[in-house]
Amino acid sequence: MSETAVSIDWDRSKSEEEDDDEEEEEEYSSPMQSFPGPPPPPSANFEKDRHLVYLEMMYELLPYHYQSQEINRLTLAHFIISGLHFLNAKDRVDKDVVAKWVLSFQALPSNRVSLKDGEFYGFFGSRSSQFPVDENGDFLTHNSSHLASTYCALAILKVTGHDLSTIDSELLLLSMKNLQQDDGSFMPIHIGGETDLRFVYCAAAICYMLDSWSGMDKEKAKNYILNCQSYDGGFGLIPGSESHGGATYCAIASLRLMGFIGVDLLSNDSSSSVINPSLLLNWCLQRQANDGGFQGRTNKPSDTCYAFWIGAVLKLVGGDALIDKIALRKFLLNCQSKYGGFSKFPGQLPDLYHSYYGYTAFSLLEEPSLSPLCPELGLPLLAATGI
Amino acid sequence: MHGRPRKASKPEEEAASAAKAVKLRSLQSQFMTYHHDKIYTKEAIELSTKLLEINPEAYTAWNYRKLAVEDSLSRIGPDPSLVKPILDEELRVVENALKQNFKSYGAWHHRKWVLSKGHSSTGNELKLLDKFQKLDSRNFHAWNYRRFVVELTNRSEQDELQYTDDMINNNFSNYSAWHNRSVLLSSLLANRADGFVPEKKIPDEYEIVHQAIFTDPDDQSGWFYHLWLLDQTVNVESPLLTSSWPSHGSSVILSGAGCFNGSPSNFTTFCSETGSFPLILYFDQAVGGVSSLTVTLDSELKGNENLVWEPISNKSSQVSCVWVARLNFSSQPCGSKDYKVKVRLGNSPGIVSSRGFNFSAPYEFVFTAHVHDPAKDSQERIVSWTDGFELWDAQSKDLNSLVTLGQLNAGIDLKWRQAAIDSEIECFRLLADSKIGKLTLARLLMASEAMMSDAAVKGVHYEEILQLYNDLMALDSSHHHYYKDEHSVAFLHKVTSSSESLSRYLFRYRDMNNLVCLRLNKLSLSRIASVNKLLFVQMLDLSHNELHSTEGLEAMQLLSCLNLSHNRIRSFSALDSLRHVKQLKVLDVSHNHIGKHSVDTTRYLCSSPLSNSDLSQDDVRRQNPGLVTKYWDAYFVLRDLNLKQLDIAGNEIAGDEFNSFVLQVVPKLVWLNGQKPGN
Repeated sequence: MSETAVSIDWDRSKSEEEDDDEEEEEEYSSPMQSFPGPPPPPSANFEKDRHLVYLEMMYELLPYHYQSQEINRLTLAHFIISGLHFLNAKDRVDKDVVAKWVLSFQALPSNRVSLKDGEFYGFFGSRSSQFPVDENGDFLTHNSSHLASTYCALAILKVTGHDLSTIDSELLLLSMKNLQQDDGSFMPIHIGGETDLRFVYCAAAICYMLDSWSGMDKEKAKNYILNCQSYDGGFGLIPGSESHGGATYCAIASLRLMGFIGVDLLSNDSSSSVINPSLLLNWCLQRQANDGGFQGRTNKPSDTCYAFWIGAVLKLVGGDALIDKIALRKFLLNCQSKYGGFSKFPGQLPDLYHSYYGYTAFSLLEEPSLSPLCPELGLPLLAATGI
Repeated sequence: MHGRPRKASKPEEEAASAAKAVKLRSLQSQFMTYHHDKIYTKEAIELSTKLLEINPEAYTAWNYRKLAVEDSLSRIGPDPSLVKPILDEELRVVENALKQNFKSYGAWHHRKWVLSKGHSSTGNELKLLDKFQKLDSRNFHAWNYRRFVVELTNRSEQDELQYTDDMINNNFSNYSAWHNRSVLLSSLLANRADGFVPEKKIPDEYEIVHQAIFTDPDDQSGWFYHLWLLDQTVNVESPLLTSSWPSHGSSVILSGAGCFNGSPSNFTTFCSETGSFPLILYFDQAVGGVSSLTVTLDSELKGNENLVWEPISNKSSQVSCVWVARLNFSSQPCGSKDYKVKVRLGNSPGIVSSRGFNFSAPYEFVFTAHVHDPAKDSQERIVSWTDGFELWDAQSKDLNSLVTLGQLNAGIDLKWRQAAIDSEIECFRLLADSKIGKLTLARLLMASEAMMSDAAVKGVHYEEILQLYNDLMALDSSHHHYYKDEHSVAFLHKVTSSSESLSRYLFRYRDMNNLVCLRLNKLSLSRIASVNKLLFVQMLDLSHNELHSTEGLEAMQLLSCLNLSHNRIRSFSALDSLRHVKQLKVLDVSHNHIGKHSVDTTRYLCSSPLSNSDLSQDDVRRQNPGLVTKYWDAYFVLRDLNLKQLDIAGNEIAGDEFNSFVLQVVPKLVWLNGQKPGN
């Protein structure tokens, strides 16, 4: 089993927008790895029932992973639970058990006074970054609340219809503001870490889901995002860096969540917009490769997850009609596993990360059996829960 | 959610991985104890090293090491000979981690952190990077780290530019190197480093990129760089005024509400219930700071001393390409009279582009306003889009009294730009058999047209451009829609390139004061463009096209009748820009796709303006909250318009319920779907 690899996967919580590395998401690989033999020929349909079996198995396995101290379990749980909602199978999820479990990852200060010390009180990735309460009842020697874990926690709660007003959002948001840097970017965790667009997006999505922008300075964040637009129209993770599919998604989705860009951005005269939409469109469309899939960067192989990262950007700017949807569908079906789930590249074994973004991509393609997509949050659109 | 048996795997594998897991778990829990108890002994630090060797992404372990380093440094004082070994050890651990996982965010960040602690031997960093970048020339962590080191060590940007030369020569398709080149060159050009002036460097860069493109025309790297160069060639930093209404030297006839008959056909007649008319400024890029301080008005029209300028933009933003002020003409003495109005801008600073550049070239324009007494009330007749049009008068073919089609401020240095574009056009005709070659050629020709000021040759390229896009649509069906949009843009540029071509589409609408009507119907347009040349249009027929939205039309402040029937409008939100067109009375959106795509309407639920608590409750919302929620997109557009005539038949949304809702939101509506409501 791939158990060992999973067990010390410490930093997966940060990797959800991560890039094009072959090994990168290997850790998500499913128990299916034990099936030998060549990949079966691709199905011509989105195999909803098989995906359901796949996700249900993952759902059941969570407690086992828990024992192995797997560190970014909130992220994995988000993929499973939000994935089940995409498949319109929310009845398979015990909403109350999930909520209780998610809330147990929340970091809380011993008292409100300690708020001033610059710590962030969100959610941590998993138990192993959570410290036990010591004899003095002194909680949290090291508070490792992480922006990405917090995004995933809130996403799960939101998708399952948990009432977010039960969370002390003021505490969470005010302490989150400590993470914002002078240049507008965010670090993921109060003790420091690389700052880039991934965490600006997490912060924006958190504010949006909690329905309050007290957690960030929107103007500053906007300026940081604009500084990340590259010469080709895409966005890099930090100012001056090369355009990248995940970073471009973070930029555009954040601008949308913050209200700086509206629908149908493309039909706008390019010069009246804060970003350069025509270059952006050109860059995004060139990411669809000859095999129909989307690549994260120029001259890189197509990868399932970029069907979402780039596809959602196109949807957000009103350019999704320009996608070659038939070719994209064909590519994605080549990445669909016989056992359910999606792999990164055609013919490989599936993993949770690529499965989830496979579902979002099919939802973007308006697959009838899937819940529609809220592209800026990367979550299923569920009228009942207000998404 | 309890355990279900997992699929079996080979027993020996199971055993090995289980043993490994047990070992790791014990390492990990020991490490967490050290971390929790703030123990930074040699043994404890070595344990974190071990963990990081196994998993370089273990960010808790990197954070622990930072605390440990801080702890050691605080105890040894500033002696560099003692500091160095501690930092060296950190760099060693990072290097090992990177060998394990080259893309570890945590490891690269730790290295930056160590360097920022003041490690002196930064020269080694570039050597290390050279090694890594040889192994993977596209690794963006390495490139980001390179830019970090360059900044930290003040290495010259010209040296780095040379490095990108080497990388590109080594492999033309190294996109990362091209990207870095654009970053460096932008900075060198912006700072006017020695010899780095655009008119010299940009042509040189074209030469360099040609080598890449002609070596391997299938590789995108060079093409993107070329597109960026084209952008640098065409775009001028300072904002320019591209057009205005009224335009320079024009005359307008102004009258109160009602019909003014017998106006000469080469003038625009503008009737207003409020006794004011819009003064429109159209800039080539979004600007802020347009006010009565930055735009001065010499006018015989009384009551316009403190004009209020408003940006026309869909966001509540204070920057826009289009700015409008309303000039009052109702407080003039009775009887017909002419008034001269002179508008000046750019004399005092304050108009600034969103990128921070000043509008600097002073510009002024003069127009004449003929103010007439209001005529008798007109009847509210239905506007028909099928008859009542008169061909554009041959004598008024010269449109100069209505619109300026040429460039306004030609005060920019066009010479080197035109020369560069011309030589590129020549060069790319050679590659015009490939898709990207055709696309690039079409873009170059468009750029050439945009910079052409000589009326004699203006417009010569459009046939070729349209043909190129037609070819592309046939050759590359997966990007069909994109080419179609570009084709529409080129077509509209062509239409507005000269008064001859524009007058072919112009008509007078007899029944309403000889309204100036532009008929661009049945042209399979999928996008609107060139609106800055169409500010004088009062009636616009865009029926039987493939439009998805009305974005761009908001600048047409004189527009009173708009026909969008038989297009591809999917929701009322796509008509949002019309909320700015206060003059609009007649709107035909029949036979579109409104209401057909439920998904798109639902998705707005998460950002529906209804959730905005600032919005005031009006009667419609109080009386009919259910329908407002159901038809909120229609509600938000229609309540801000002053429509007299609306056609929505042939849409999924149309029906008795929606019709009655429309009448509640727009009680002043006289014609709905060709009938008087209530009849």
